[in-house]
Amino acid sequence: MASPAGEHDSDDGWDEFFDKFKTQEYKNAFKPDTWEEEFDKIPMFMKTAPEEFDPQEYPELACLQALIHDEDMSPEEKAKSLKDEGNAFFKEKNYKKAVLAYTAALKVDCGDQELATVLLTNRAAADFHLGNMRAALNDAAAAKKINPNHLKALIRGAQCCIELRNFSEAIQWCDEGLKAHPTDKKLQDVRLTADKLKRAAERDARKAKIKEKRLQSEKEVLLAAIKDRGIKLLQSAKPSQRGSDSEDEDGGSSAAISELSLDGLSSQEIVGAQVFLDEQGSLHWPVLLLYPEHQQSDFISAFCESNCFIDHLAVMFGEELPPWDVDRKYNTQNLQLYFEDEEKETIYQIKPESSLLDVLQHKRYFIKAGTPSFIILVNGSAFKKHFLTGKKIKKL
Amino acid sequence: MLSDSETAELLSFLTPSTRPDVKGHAIEYILGLSGNRDGCHFLRSKPDLIVALCALTTDPSIVIVKNCYHIIINLSADETLHNVLVADVKVLPLLVKNFVDPEFPHSDQISTILSNLTRHKKTCKTVFKVLQEEEVGLAKLVDMFCTEGYNKNAKLHYLGPLLSNLTQLPEARNFIMDKDRCVVQRLLPFTQYQASVTRRGGVIGTLHNCCFDHVHHEWLLSDAVDILPFLLLPLAGPEELSEEDNEGLPVDLQYLPEDKKREEDPDIRKMLLETLLLLTATKAGRKTLKDKNVYPIMREFHKWEKDVKVSATCEKLVQVLIGDEPEEGMENLMEVEIPEDVEDKLKEADIKEQQELEEEQKKQEEEQKKKNNDANLTDRQQESGLTL
Repeated sequence: MASPAGEHDSDDGWDEFFDKFKTQEYKNAFKPDTWEEEFDKIPMFMKTAPEEFDPQEYPELACLQALIHDEDMSPEEKAKSLKDEGNAFFKEKNYKKAVLAYTAALKVDCGDQELATVLLTNRAAADFHLGNMRAALNDAAAAKKINPNHLKALIRGAQCCIELRNFSEAIQWCDEGLKAHPTDKKLQDVRLTADKLKRAAERDARKAKIKEKRLQSEKEVLLAAIKDRGIKLLQSAKPSQRGSDSEDEDGGSSAAISELSLDGLSSQEIVGAQVFLDEQGSLHWPVLLLYPEHQQSDFISAFCESNCFIDHLAVMFGEELPPWDVDRKYNTQNLQLYFEDEEKETIYQIKPESSLLDVLQHKRYFIKAGTPSFIILVNGSAFKKHFLTGKKIKKL
Repeated sequence: MLSDSETAELLSFLTPSTRPDVKGHAIEYILGLSGNRDGCHFLRSKPDLIVALCALTTDPSIVIVKNCYHIIINLSADETLHNVLVADVKVLPLLVKNFVDPEFPHSDQISTILSNLTRHKKTCKTVFKVLQEEEVGLAKLVDMFCTEGYNKNAKLHYLGPLLSNLTQLPEARNFIMDKDRCVVQRLLPFTQYQASVTRRGGVIGTLHNCCFDHVHHEWLLSDAVDILPFLLLPLAGPEELSEEDNEGLPVDLQYLPEDKKREEDPDIRKMLLETLLLLTATKAGRKTLKDKNVYPIMREFHKWEKDVKVSATCEKLVQVLIGDEPEEGMENLMEVEIPEDVEDKLKEADIKEQQELEEEQKKQEEEQKKKNNDANLTDRQQESGLTL
């Protein structure tokens, strides 16, 4: 195809023009490897406002500082400009910066009360979104003081009260607002929400109270059952608290009973296990069996008071011996049961055929931390001999 | 009664410049007149006297002022005086103007007078009109009612019956039940207001009147207002309900403490039940009351209630709650057309029921009297030293 002579010339010219770009850069071009960073620095294309306020790096945000220190602007202009900055930050959801801007605006005391109301309300909104409810409420209250009918302040104040779970106060804010703005839907909605939450909270309080009462009376029934059986609970209280009649055997038990409190039932060792009363009126205790020879123990979570020790021991040692019994001597028929009366340094031997209740009712048996414990030794063992040396032994 | 010349003389004593002791006596005399029906009727024919008394409510002597108000209260209690008071004496504008002043020391008296004047529809309409003219809307009245300590010198409990009376008028009801405002919602907590039976009764009367407009029932029962718990709470007692029953109840009625007391005034209890009955007029209303577990509350209430009339109303409500749904076309009980002969029979049945109730009540009273007499007898016997 033939092309006209002139076009051929301009084609060359265009090619030349375009070719230039391969070698020459235009002014203020982005550098090829850092173009993304540089892109981000241009305020229009910034995705997030920077945290650091280095005026060199971010000259655009420095205008806040500039505004504050501007000598030429009147206070009213300054305040308004700072407000606009705040609003811009708010729109970007940069609430921290918004608070800063509004605060700076408020500091510019230009005497414009209306502007102050708006600034306080806006700052309250920013603080609200940051979760600073107290600060927000204070600002809303301050705004309300200047202008008692300022709708946004009234709504914000009520919302803060709701977040602070002060529902009655929230309703008060709404009612105040509804006086000046009786048909405002938002106020009515907030009031409805606050009212609902208030009534639900009241119900929850009532429910909790009733539950507490029930638990309390259950505990009292339990303690009464224990007391009726003549079982004594020992608190972590010092013996000196027991009073002068602790020497006397009978007096000692009544003094200990008089110390019966709900704390006496808490088990420090095994969390979650506690004595309970079953439907037939029998007590079930968490029981610790101690094997001092091997520093071992077994825990029975619910030992019915009418059961005998032999029943449990038969199950525990009948089929298999525990792994720590290296001498293989903890057979049921060899086991002997004891409890220790620490105060009198006496060890009492228990017949395995006795029931738990029998032992607990022994006048020298005191339950520590709500968990009766018993010592098991093997008859004829060297350890037993050693263990019982120097101690008074009594049989039940 | 007084002759014309005596009346004229009396009138001449009722001026601000009269000697205080003469003035005081004249007013005390009129106070005495106002205390009985004949006296009131006499005063009815002498509006000049009443005008003079109204003027004296600004007298420097507090005793005179109090007595003047007392007289007007007495007069307002007599319906035949209403027209004179309103039309001739033109007492309303002055009363209303002072009423809204939070500093005014006699607002309690004014609220009593207004409450009396609004008892009957005719004057009630006039009062409502004047309230509008003086730019004291219902909004203001509700605001005064709901603001604790609005007036340091007056308790304003009679605002309750005043509001209740005003709701005889559909205009007043429409305002209270305005969906775009928050009016009736603010009144609801006062159904439990312990400090004043007058205030409580007034609010419940207001709600009772409002419930005659069944077109508002759905809204009243909805979450936007939630009238039901506030009607049930005064009737609910401390009895422990099962967890199941509790969870089905409105939130405010769940887990009530063991010291919960029921409403003491039987008339108010009856009014509450009647209001609940009104709410069962529509199918939707019946469903709501059934769904919200109203029946167990009524069951326990019925066991507790001793008053015969109140019990009967409770039974009517229970019947609706546990009864079957009426057949098609009869779902809105307020709109059902009752054929004449059925209506007559129903009227007869009503009269008969009323008689039975009254007999029952009389029996109760006689039994009580007899018990008292027996107790007296025993006392007397003991006193005279008789041995049995």
